Amino acid sequence: MMKPEEILKLIAAARGTAICVPTMTTGPAWRTLAPDDLSVGCVGFMGGASALGLGLALGAPDRRVIVFDGDGSLLMQLGSLATIAGAAPRNLTHLLFKNGVYHTSGSQETPGGQGVDFAAMAKAAGYRSTCTISTLDDLKKRLPALLSDEGPIMAQLMTGLADSTPMNSPPGTPFHQQVANVRAKVSAAG
Amino acid sequence: MPESVPSSLIIDAFKEIFQAERGAGKRHEPLGWVISVPDTHQKSVLAALDKERSLRVITCSTEDDANAVAAGLYMTGEPVIVMIQHAGLYASVNTIRGISMDGKVPIFYMIGLLSREKDKDPKDSRHSMVRFAEPLLDVFGIPHARMEGPDDVKLIPEYYRKSRERKGPAAVLVGLETA
Repeated sequence: MMKPEEILKLIAAARGTAICVPTMTTGPAWRTLAPDDLSVGCVGFMGGASALGLGLALGAPDRRVIVFDGDGSLLMQLGSLATIAGAAPRNLTHLLFKNGVYHTSGSQETPGGQGVDFAAMAKAAGYRSTCTISTLDDLKKRLPALLSDEGPIMAQLMTGLADSTPMNSPPGTPFHQQVANVRAKVSAAG
Repeated sequence: MPESVPSSLIIDAFKEIFQAERGAGKRHEPLGWVISVPDTHQKSVLAALDKERSLRVITCSTEDDANAVAAGLYMTGEPVIVMIQHAGLYASVNTIRGISMDGKVPIFYMIGLLSREKDKDPKDSRHSMVRFAEPLLDVFGIPHARMEGPDDVKLIPEYYRKSRERKGPAAVLVGLETA
Protein backbone atom coordinates (compact mmCIF):
# COMPACT_ATOMS: atom_id res chain seq x y z
CA MET A 1 0.00 0.00 0.00
CA MET A 2 1.24 3.47 -0.86
CA LYS A 3 1.13 6.36 1.59
CA PRO A 4 -1.11 9.12 0.22
CA GLU A 5 1.44 11.74 1.29
CA GLU A 6 4.16 10.05 -0.76
CA ILE A 7 1.92 10.02 -3.82
CA LEU A 8 1.10 13.70 -3.38
CA LYS A 9 4.79 14.59 -3.07
CA LEU A 10 5.45 12.98 -6.46
CA ILE A 11 2.54 14.85 -8.02
CA ALA A 12 3.55 18.17 -6.48
CA ALA A 13 6.97 17.80 -8.08
CA ALA A 14 5.59 16.84 -11.49
CA ARG A 15 2.36 18.85 -11.89
CA GLY A 16 3.76 21.96 -13.58
CA THR A 17 0.89 24.39 -14.13
CA ALA A 18 -1.84 21.82 -13.58
CA ILE A 19 -4.94 22.75 -11.61
CA CYS A 20 -5.43 20.25 -8.78
CA VAL A 21 -8.68 19.25 -7.10
CA PRO A 22 -8.09 17.46 -3.78
CA THR A 23 -10.93 16.10 -1.68
CA MET A 24 -11.32 14.71 1.85
CA THR A 25 -8.10 13.18 3.23
CA THR A 26 -5.84 14.41 0.44
CA GLY A 27 -6.76 17.98 1.36
CA PRO A 28 -4.64 18.62 4.47
CA ALA A 29 -1.44 17.11 3.04
CA TRP A 30 -1.90 18.88 -0.31
CA ARG A 31 -2.32 22.26 1.39
CA THR A 32 1.10 21.78 2.95
CA LEU A 33 2.78 20.45 -0.17
CA ALA A 34 1.28 22.93 -2.65
CA PRO A 35 0.09 26.09 -0.92
CA ASP A 36 -0.77 27.89 -4.14
CA ASP A 37 -3.73 29.39 -5.96
CA LEU A 38 -4.03 26.64 -8.55
CA SER A 39 -5.77 24.15 -6.31
CA VAL A 40 -9.41 24.02 -5.30
CA GLY A 41 -10.59 21.53 -2.71
CA CYS A 42 -13.94 19.84 -2.96
CA VAL A 43 -15.17 20.94 0.45
CA GLY A 44 -18.80 20.84 1.56
CA PHE A 45 -20.16 18.79 -1.32
CA MET A 46 -18.54 15.38 -0.95
CA GLY A 47 -18.52 13.48 -4.22
CA GLY A 48 -18.19 16.51 -6.46
CA ALA A 49 -14.43 16.51 -7.09
CA SER A 50 -14.53 14.65 -10.39
CA ALA A 51 -17.29 16.82 -11.90
CA LEU A 52 -15.59 19.97 -10.62
CA GLY A 53 -12.44 18.77 -12.35
CA LEU A 54 -14.40 18.15 -15.53
CA GLY A 55 -15.65 21.75 -15.60
CA LEU A 56 -12.14 23.05 -15.05
CA ALA A 57 -10.75 20.81 -17.76
CA LEU A 58 -13.37 21.88 -20.30
CA GLY A 59 -12.85 25.55 -19.54
CA ALA A 60 -9.04 25.43 -19.51
CA PRO A 61 -8.22 22.98 -22.31
CA ASP A 62 -4.58 24.04 -22.45
CA ARG A 63 -3.92 23.04 -18.87
CA ARG A 64 -3.84 19.65 -17.22
CA VAL A 65 -6.42 19.16 -14.47
CA ILE A 66 -5.71 16.52 -11.83
CA VAL A 67 -8.45 15.28 -9.51
CA PHE A 68 -7.43 13.57 -6.26
CA ASP A 69 -10.62 11.62 -5.64
CA GLY A 70 -11.48 9.17 -2.89
CA ASP A 71 -13.31 5.88 -3.22
CA GLY A 72 -16.04 6.87 -0.75
CA SER A 73 -16.31 10.24 -2.46
CA LEU A 74 -16.59 8.87 -5.98
CA LEU A 75 -19.26 6.41 -4.86
CA MET A 76 -21.42 9.42 -3.97
CA GLN A 77 -21.41 10.62 -7.60
CA LEU A 78 -20.48 7.50 -9.51
CA GLY A 79 -22.44 8.72 -12.52
CA SER A 80 -19.73 11.35 -12.98
CA LEU A 81 -17.66 8.64 -14.68
CA ALA A 82 -20.16 8.62 -17.54
CA THR A 83 -20.50 12.41 -17.47
CA ILE A 84 -16.72 12.71 -17.85
CA ALA A 85 -16.48 10.03 -20.52
CA GLY A 86 -19.27 11.71 -22.49
CA ALA A 87 -17.60 15.12 -22.38
CA ALA A 88 -14.22 13.49 -23.15
CA PRO A 89 -11.82 16.13 -21.81
CA ARG A 90 -8.35 15.39 -23.22
CA ASN A 91 -6.63 17.14 -20.31
CA LEU A 92 -8.23 15.43 -17.30
CA THR A 93 -6.36 13.01 -15.05
CA HIS A 94 -8.56 11.38 -12.44
CA LEU A 95 -6.54 9.85 -9.61
CA LEU A 96 -8.60 7.63 -7.35
CA PHE A 97 -7.06 7.17 -3.90
CA LYS A 98 -8.50 3.85 -2.85
CA ASN A 99 -8.27 2.89 0.81
CA GLY A 100 -11.55 0.99 1.13
CA VAL A 101 -12.87 3.06 4.03
CA TYR A 102 -14.49 6.35 4.95
CA HIS A 103 -11.39 7.53 6.78
CA THR A 104 -12.72 10.91 7.89
CA SER A 105 -15.81 9.57 9.62
CA GLY A 106 -14.02 6.77 11.50
CA SER A 107 -12.84 4.31 8.86
CA GLN A 108 -16.10 2.48 8.25
CA GLU A 109 -15.74 0.19 5.23
CA THR A 110 -17.04 1.62 1.95
CA PRO A 111 -19.78 -0.40 0.19
CA GLY A 112 -17.95 -3.25 -1.49
CA GLY A 113 -14.71 -2.27 0.24
CA GLN A 114 -11.54 -3.17 -1.61
CA GLY A 115 -13.48 -5.37 -4.01
CA VAL A 116 -14.81 -2.44 -6.03
CA ASP A 117 -12.70 -1.88 -9.16
CA PHE A 118 -12.98 1.79 -10.06
CA ALA A 119 -10.51 1.52 -12.92
CA ALA A 120 -12.69 -1.12 -14.55
CA MET A 121 -15.75 1.06 -14.00
CA ALA A 122 -14.04 4.07 -15.58
CA LYS A 123 -12.93 1.99 -18.55
CA ALA A 124 -16.42 0.62 -19.00
CA ALA A 125 -17.84 4.15 -18.77
CA GLY A 126 -15.62 5.22 -21.65
CA TYR A 127 -12.42 6.74 -20.21
CA ARG A 128 -9.64 6.76 -22.76
CA SER A 129 -7.28 4.86 -20.49
CA THR A 130 -7.26 3.43 -16.98
CA CYS A 131 -4.83 1.57 -14.75
CA THR A 132 -4.33 0.38 -11.21
CA ILE A 133 -1.11 1.22 -9.38
CA SER A 134 0.00 -0.40 -6.13
CA THR A 135 3.60 0.72 -5.63
CA LEU A 136 5.44 4.01 -5.60
CA ASP A 137 8.01 2.68 -8.05
CA ASP A 138 5.29 1.87 -10.54
CA LEU A 139 3.69 5.28 -9.99
CA LYS A 140 7.03 7.03 -10.59
CA LYS A 141 7.36 5.23 -13.91
CA ARG A 142 3.83 5.97 -15.06
CA LEU A 143 3.39 9.49 -13.71
CA PRO A 144 4.76 11.42 -16.72
CA ALA A 145 2.31 9.67 -19.02
CA LEU A 146 -0.54 10.05 -16.55
CA LEU A 147 0.03 13.80 -16.58
CA SER A 148 0.51 14.22 -20.31
CA ASP A 149 -1.35 11.52 -22.25
CA GLU A 150 -4.70 12.26 -23.77
CA GLY A 151 -7.53 11.88 -21.30
CA PRO A 152 -9.76 11.26 -19.67
CA ILE A 153 -7.40 9.04 -17.69
CA MET A 154 -8.17 7.21 -14.47
CA ALA A 155 -5.46 5.75 -12.23
CA GLN A 156 -6.70 3.75 -9.29
CA LEU A 157 -4.08 4.12 -6.56
CA MET A 158 -4.02 1.50 -3.83
CA THR A 159 -3.27 3.39 -0.65
CA GLY A 160 -3.16 3.13 3.09
CA LEU A 161 -4.61 5.82 5.33
CA ALA A 162 -3.42 9.42 5.26
CA ASP A 163 -1.80 10.85 8.38
CA SER A 164 -4.47 13.55 8.66
CA THR A 165 -8.11 14.02 7.87
CA PRO A 166 -10.05 17.26 7.48
CA MET A 167 -11.44 16.62 10.99
CA ASN A 168 -8.11 16.63 12.79
CA SER A 169 -6.36 19.29 10.70
CA PRO A 170 -6.49 23.07 10.81
CA PRO A 171 -9.01 24.47 8.34
CA GLY A 172 -7.68 25.51 4.97
CA THR A 173 -8.62 28.49 2.84
CA PRO A 174 -12.44 28.68 2.65
CA PHE A 175 -13.88 27.18 -0.53
CA HIS A 176 -15.27 30.47 -1.81
CA GLN A 177 -11.83 32.05 -1.49
CA GLN A 178 -10.22 29.12 -3.32
CA VAL A 179 -12.78 29.58 -6.11
CA ALA A 180 -11.93 33.28 -6.37
CA ASN A 181 -8.20 32.56 -6.32
CA VAL A 182 -8.33 29.94 -9.07
CA ARG A 183 -10.61 32.11 -11.21
CA ALA A 184 -8.29 35.07 -10.87
CA LYS A 185 -5.21 33.03 -11.69
CA VAL A 186 -6.64 31.03 -14.59
CA SER A 187 -8.50 33.96 -16.15
CA ALA A 188 -5.39 36.15 -15.88
CA ALA A 189 -3.36 33.48 -17.65
CA GLY A 190 -5.92 33.51 -20.50
CA MET B 1 -53.39 31.95 -18.59
CA PRO B 2 -49.75 30.90 -19.00
CA GLU B 3 -48.41 30.15 -22.47
CA SER B 4 -45.60 27.99 -23.82
CA VAL B 5 -42.42 29.81 -24.79
CA PRO B 6 -40.84 28.93 -28.15
CA SER B 7 -37.39 27.38 -27.86
CA SER B 8 -35.97 29.87 -30.36
CA LEU B 9 -36.69 32.78 -28.01
CA ILE B 10 -34.97 31.00 -25.14
CA ILE B 11 -31.89 30.13 -27.18
CA ASP B 12 -31.65 33.69 -28.48
CA ALA B 13 -31.74 34.90 -24.88
CA PHE B 14 -28.92 32.47 -23.99
CA LYS B 15 -26.82 33.71 -26.89
CA GLU B 16 -27.34 37.35 -25.99
CA ILE B 17 -26.28 36.64 -22.42
CA PHE B 18 -23.14 34.82 -23.54
CA GLN B 19 -22.26 37.49 -26.10
CA ALA B 20 -22.62 40.18 -23.45
CA GLU B 21 -20.49 38.15 -21.04
CA ARG B 22 -17.76 37.59 -23.61
CA GLY B 23 -17.80 41.20 -24.72
CA ALA B 24 -16.70 42.42 -28.09
CA GLY B 25 -13.46 41.26 -29.56
CA LYS B 26 -12.09 37.89 -30.33
CA ARG B 27 -14.31 35.05 -31.39
CA HIS B 28 -14.98 32.36 -28.83
CA GLU B 29 -15.74 28.71 -29.41
CA PRO B 30 -18.03 27.81 -27.89
CA LEU B 31 -19.87 31.05 -27.24
CA GLY B 32 -21.16 29.57 -23.98
CA TRP B 33 -22.01 26.37 -22.14
CA VAL B 34 -25.34 24.80 -21.31
CA ILE B 35 -25.09 22.16 -18.61
CA SER B 36 -28.10 19.93 -18.66
CA VAL B 37 -29.77 17.02 -17.01
CA PRO B 38 -32.48 16.46 -19.58
CA ASP B 39 -35.85 17.89 -18.57
CA THR B 40 -39.01 16.77 -20.33
CA HIS B 41 -40.51 20.22 -19.78
CA GLN B 42 -37.70 21.91 -21.75
CA LYS B 43 -37.17 19.19 -24.34
CA SER B 44 -37.87 21.46 -27.30
CA VAL B 45 -35.02 23.72 -26.14
CA LEU B 46 -32.69 20.74 -25.77
CA ALA B 47 -33.65 19.52 -29.25
CA ALA B 48 -32.93 22.95 -30.73
CA LEU B 49 -29.63 23.14 -28.84
CA ASP B 50 -28.57 19.90 -30.53
CA LYS B 51 -28.53 21.81 -33.81
CA GLU B 52 -26.89 24.91 -32.34
CA ARG B 53 -23.18 24.83 -33.15
CA SER B 54 -22.16 27.95 -31.24
CA LEU B 55 -23.22 26.62 -27.84
CA ARG B 56 -21.82 23.49 -26.24
CA VAL B 57 -24.17 21.31 -24.26
CA ILE B 58 -22.79 18.98 -21.60
CA THR B 59 -25.27 16.35 -20.52
CA CYS B 60 -24.71 15.23 -16.95
CA SER B 61 -25.71 12.08 -15.12
CA THR B 62 -27.05 14.02 -12.14
CA GLU B 63 -27.77 17.58 -11.06
CA ASP B 64 -24.92 17.22 -8.54
CA ASP B 65 -22.60 16.75 -11.50
CA ALA B 66 -24.20 19.69 -13.30
CA ASN B 67 -23.54 22.06 -10.41
CA ALA B 68 -19.92 21.01 -10.05
CA VAL B 69 -19.24 21.17 -13.80
CA ALA B 70 -20.76 24.66 -13.90
CA ALA B 71 -18.54 25.73 -10.98
CA GLY B 72 -15.42 24.43 -12.71
CA LEU B 73 -16.29 26.30 -15.90
CA TYR B 74 -16.97 29.48 -13.92
CA MET B 75 -13.52 29.25 -12.36
CA THR B 76 -12.00 29.32 -15.83
CA GLY B 77 -14.01 32.39 -16.81
CA GLU B 78 -16.53 30.58 -19.02
CA PRO B 79 -20.21 31.60 -19.17
CA VAL B 80 -22.63 28.84 -18.14
CA ILE B 81 -26.35 28.16 -17.81
CA VAL B 82 -27.73 25.08 -16.02
CA MET B 83 -30.97 23.48 -17.21
CA ILE B 84 -32.68 21.05 -14.83
CA GLN B 85 -36.08 19.93 -13.64
CA HIS B 86 -37.73 20.56 -10.27
CA ALA B 87 -36.99 16.96 -9.24
CA GLY B 88 -33.31 17.67 -9.92
CA LEU B 89 -33.49 20.74 -7.74
CA TYR B 90 -34.70 18.55 -4.88
CA ALA B 91 -32.02 15.97 -5.63
CA SER B 92 -29.15 18.44 -5.51
CA VAL B 93 -29.89 20.84 -2.69
CA ASN B 94 -26.72 19.99 -0.75
CA THR B 95 -24.55 20.63 -3.79
CA ILE B 96 -26.31 23.92 -4.53
CA ARG B 97 -25.77 24.94 -0.92
CA GLY B 98 -22.13 23.89 -0.92
CA ILE B 99 -21.11 25.23 -4.31
CA SER B 100 -23.34 28.11 -5.29
CA MET B 101 -24.32 29.46 -1.87
CA ASP B 102 -21.37 28.82 0.43
CA GLY B 103 -18.90 28.78 -2.44
CA LYS B 104 -20.31 32.02 -3.86
CA VAL B 105 -20.35 30.59 -7.37
CA PRO B 106 -22.87 32.41 -9.55
CA ILE B 107 -25.02 29.75 -11.15
CA PHE B 108 -28.13 30.55 -13.16
CA TYR B 109 -30.71 27.78 -13.40
CA MET B 110 -33.59 27.15 -15.78
CA ILE B 111 -35.88 24.81 -13.81
CA GLY B 112 -38.76 23.03 -15.51
CA LEU B 113 -42.01 22.64 -13.59
CA LEU B 114 -43.00 19.33 -15.15
CA SER B 115 -46.69 18.44 -14.63
CA ARG B 116 -47.66 21.98 -13.67
CA GLU B 117 -51.34 22.42 -14.55
CA LYS B 118 -52.04 25.24 -17.00
CA ASP B 119 -55.02 26.50 -15.03
CA LYS B 120 -53.38 26.45 -11.61
CA ASP B 121 -50.86 28.46 -9.72
CA PRO B 122 -48.02 26.07 -8.77
CA LYS B 123 -48.85 26.46 -5.09
CA ASP B 124 -52.26 24.90 -5.82
CA SER B 125 -50.93 22.05 -7.95
CA ARG B 126 -51.98 18.54 -7.05
CA HIS B 127 -48.37 17.46 -7.64
CA SER B 128 -46.01 17.93 -4.70
CA MET B 129 -43.03 18.29 -7.04
CA VAL B 130 -44.71 21.33 -8.57
CA ARG B 131 -45.90 22.81 -5.26
CA PHE B 132 -42.60 22.64 -3.41
CA ALA B 133 -40.16 24.13 -5.94
CA GLU B 134 -40.78 27.82 -5.26
CA PRO B 135 -41.07 27.40 -1.47
CA LEU B 136 -37.78 25.46 -1.48
CA LEU B 137 -36.03 28.24 -3.37
CA ASP B 138 -37.48 30.70 -0.83
CA VAL B 139 -36.13 28.64 2.07
CA PHE B 140 -32.66 28.85 0.53
CA GLY B 141 -33.07 32.55 -0.25
CA ILE B 142 -32.52 31.91 -3.95
CA PRO B 143 -34.02 34.65 -6.14
CA HIS B 144 -36.45 33.22 -8.66
CA ALA B 145 -39.17 34.13 -11.12
CA ARG B 146 -41.58 32.13 -13.24
CA MET B 147 -41.62 32.34 -17.02
CA GLU B 148 -45.31 32.23 -17.95
CA GLY B 149 -45.17 33.25 -21.59
CA PRO B 150 -43.04 34.77 -24.36
CA ASP B 151 -43.12 38.19 -22.71
CA ASP B 152 -41.28 36.72 -19.74
CA VAL B 153 -38.20 35.68 -21.71
CA LYS B 154 -36.63 38.89 -20.42
CA LEU B 155 -36.46 37.18 -17.02
CA ILE B 156 -33.65 34.98 -18.34
CA PRO B 157 -31.02 37.74 -18.69
CA GLU B 158 -32.39 39.49 -15.61
CA TYR B 159 -31.90 36.47 -13.34
CA TYR B 160 -28.62 35.51 -14.98
CA ARG B 161 -27.37 38.99 -14.03
CA LYS B 162 -28.75 38.54 -10.53
CA SER B 163 -26.69 35.39 -10.07
CA ARG B 164 -23.55 37.31 -11.14
CA GLU B 165 -24.30 40.34 -8.98
CA ARG B 166 -24.97 38.35 -5.82
CA LYS B 167 -22.35 35.69 -6.56
CA GLY B 168 -24.77 32.88 -5.89
CA PRO B 169 -27.69 30.99 -7.37
CA ALA B 170 -30.67 32.51 -9.17
CA ALA B 171 -33.38 30.71 -11.10
CA VAL B 172 -36.09 31.04 -13.71
CA LEU B 173 -38.82 28.45 -13.42
CA VAL B 174 -40.32 27.30 -16.69
CA GLY B 175 -44.08 27.41 -16.11
CA LEU B 176 -45.29 25.44 -19.09
CA GLU B 177 -43.57 23.01 -21.42
CA THR B 178 -41.54 24.93 -23.98
CA ALA B 179 -42.66 24.92 -27.63
